[in-house]
Amino acid sequence: MAMKFPSDEWVAAFHNAINESPEYKEGGKPWTFGVTALVVNAQPDLGINEAYGMWLDLHEGVCRESHHCTAEEAQTAPFCIFGDYARWKQVIHKELEPVKGMMQGKLKLKGNLQIIVRNVKAAQALVTCATRVPTQFLDEP
Amino acid sequence: MGGYVGKYLEVDLARGEITELPIAAEVQRKYLGGSGLAAYLFFQRGKWAADPLGPDNDLFILTGPISGTLIPGSSRFAVAARSPLTGIWGEGSAGGDFAPSLKRCGIDGIVVVGQSPKPVMLVLDEGKVELRDASELWGLDTYETTDRLRETMAGKKRPSVLSIGQAGENLVRFACIANNKHDFIGRTGMGAVMGSKRLKAVVCRGEGTVPIADPVSYKAICKSLVQMIGQAVPAQALKEMGTDSAMDLGMMIGDIPIANWSLGEDFELSNALSGPTMSETYLKRGLACYACPIACRREVEVPDGPYKTPVGPGPEYETCCSFGTMLNQKDLAGVIKSNEWCNRYGVDSITAGCTIAWAYDCFAKGLLTLEDTGGVELKFGEVDGAIAMLHKLAKREGIGDLLAEGSRGAAKKLGRGSEALTAEIKGLEIPMHDPRGSHGLALAYMTSYRGACHKAHLVEAIEHGLASYADVGLEENYEGLSSEGKAGMVRIGEDLGVPLNSLALCEFEMWCYQFDDLIRAIRAVTGWEDFSVEEYRKTGERLWLLKRCLNNLMGVTRADDRLPAKILTPLPDGAAAGLVPDEEMMLREYYEVRGLDEAGRPLSAVLEQAGLAEVGQVLHQRI
Repeated sequence: MAMKFPSDEWVAAFHNAINESPEYKEGGKPWTFGVTALVVNAQPDLGINEAYGMWLDLHEGVCRESHHCTAEEAQTAPFCIFGDYARWKQVIHKELEPVKGMMQGKLKLKGNLQIIVRNVKAAQALVTCATRVPTQFLDEP
Repeated sequence: MGGYVGKYLEVDLARGEITELPIAAEVQRKYLGGSGLAAYLFFQRGKWAADPLGPDNDLFILTGPISGTLIPGSSRFAVAARSPLTGIWGEGSAGGDFAPSLKRCGIDGIVVVGQSPKPVMLVLDEGKVELRDASELWGLDTYETTDRLRETMAGKKRPSVLSIGQAGENLVRFACIANNKHDFIGRTGMGAVMGSKRLKAVVCRGEGTVPIADPVSYKAICKSLVQMIGQAVPAQALKEMGTDSAMDLGMMIGDIPIANWSLGEDFELSNALSGPTMSETYLKRGLACYACPIACRREVEVPDGPYKTPVGPGPEYETCCSFGTMLNQKDLAGVIKSNEWCNRYGVDSITAGCTIAWAYDCFAKGLLTLEDTGGVELKFGEVDGAIAMLHKLAKREGIGDLLAEGSRGAAKKLGRGSEALTAEIKGLEIPMHDPRGSHGLALAYMTSYRGACHKAHLVEAIEHGLASYADVGLEENYEGLSSEGKAGMVRIGEDLGVPLNSLALCEFEMWCYQFDDLIRAIRAVTGWEDFSVEEYRKTGERLWLLKRCLNNLMGVTRADDRLPAKILTPLPDGAAAGLVPDEEMMLREYYEVRGLDEAGRPLSAVLEQAGLAEVGQVLHQRI
């Protein structure tokens, strides 16, 4: 069954997809830099009345814990990436590579850019995991 | 009106005469400055048959209208001539502080003609211009020359120095010109042209100012551009990690050449040579060109070991590849040492590294032997052989005399099938972005007016997604691994990018804001109130066409717009594994959108529309 993006169910399914992914197990192995929070900016016309945060405790190729969080909580994570709904949809469709998206200003990063650019393989593997989550987008019937 | 002083110097080295010549207002606006103005002056002088290393090959050193202002990234200037490496239009540009210094001396540029019978230098100091004997400097490297001249001219203001090293003196075909110690007119061998004229250095120091047409708007625009740059992630990445910041990202998209273009992926290699690694190991500090808030230049030190290097200029991304990944060697200290020698001797580190990587490949395949190399082993994975080759080529000693010709010339002389191991277009080695991972870039390499070049257009930035520009006809995202629909993008990327080398503006700043912002800056400086993005693009088209016509006059045809066999061979691994650009399809589409005939010449009607009817008449009458 497809899960709405963003939603608590989607975050849980993403968590599972990460831990079932051989690509992330390998590509994410060097990631020892703490929690990465992803934030979908508020967009009331789609029913996202407040920014929707996803807290992902990633460590050495494993997602140790995840939950929905507020934007405020997300900003306490070592890495926090903000973006509009449409941009995250492009990321999930593999139309926007997240590190490129940050370079272009389409996604905003709060955190150490040097660590991000050194871990592009982990980012790439995370996107592959996201594509495996059966997703119902809010702007699609 | 502002931006321009409105005059340049013609320095006749054979006669020892210096003449002041005007630049007409309509010429300024039509060709902007820098390499565009150089192309116009080159055409007017009609010396396209000149021997690149002979007395008739004039050397153009020109600033642009925003050079020397406080517009961020406006430190640049261009040097142009017929290239001794490629035999066609040659140009390069650099940042540093030479352009503002020249403008402060009250001129927009210098055209050097003829050859001096003995080594000389041109000195512009406190309103005086003179040629001085430079015999004592001949034989010194660029660092030594810069230090010596700065000692000699010590005063309250430090002079800016352009110089050549031993490579330029020895007519190495890819010799470069240094501005002080950090900035280089690297590509197409302009240092060899300077060497052929026995012009060791140009030194300038002035107190003047650049005229600004609308100082109030100018001040506000400078402030807003600095703010935009401060918020842009590419600027942040360049500031923190230098031009080598995204090597791992490059590896992921199939951008990094490995082992003379033979392999497609090695993250250990990119990680060892990347900007973040340099920051953690050898970086002392970041440095900026004049009026640049980004500060992408690296100052490094290797404190000990076999590649011990004193505090000085560090390698850019291109050198980390040409003396790193291209040799399949991951010793960053070795790259730093190679970079120092390239700088000191004054050679383009791209062509030098690529020519040496070609020699490594030849050695691996038995086409070159220990006997050829003077006993030096050239082994992928090791950098010592490359450093030994640098010493030889700068002095044209032994095999260095062969390597000093560049990869095309060296392969032609060596034969033995070694031509298939080069990766050059029109004689210029492909820079360190593998076109098999970026097919639009492959097309731009094929059509660039100075041979394989990533800086004569914005295609690399657009296709790699480092920059995106609204309302200029571009799509939001381009798939690098596809050849579909790239011709239109490349044409736009060229038309937008070509004028940057004429203004002259650093491309990195242009990654941080939109063309509307740039146009507002140009208007404020020059006073061209009706200057628009459309006129900017049309100027870019005009300059591309003019340089193409010059190349046609120097013998370029459609047959020269091609990818080398190395690049038409699929990679075994990495993002671009198994794929090569569709050369024919892209070129066919490009010829249509650009308006070129079957011989590769711009159509007369296209030239007329671009305001180049006179050029069209000459071209189509002669060829």
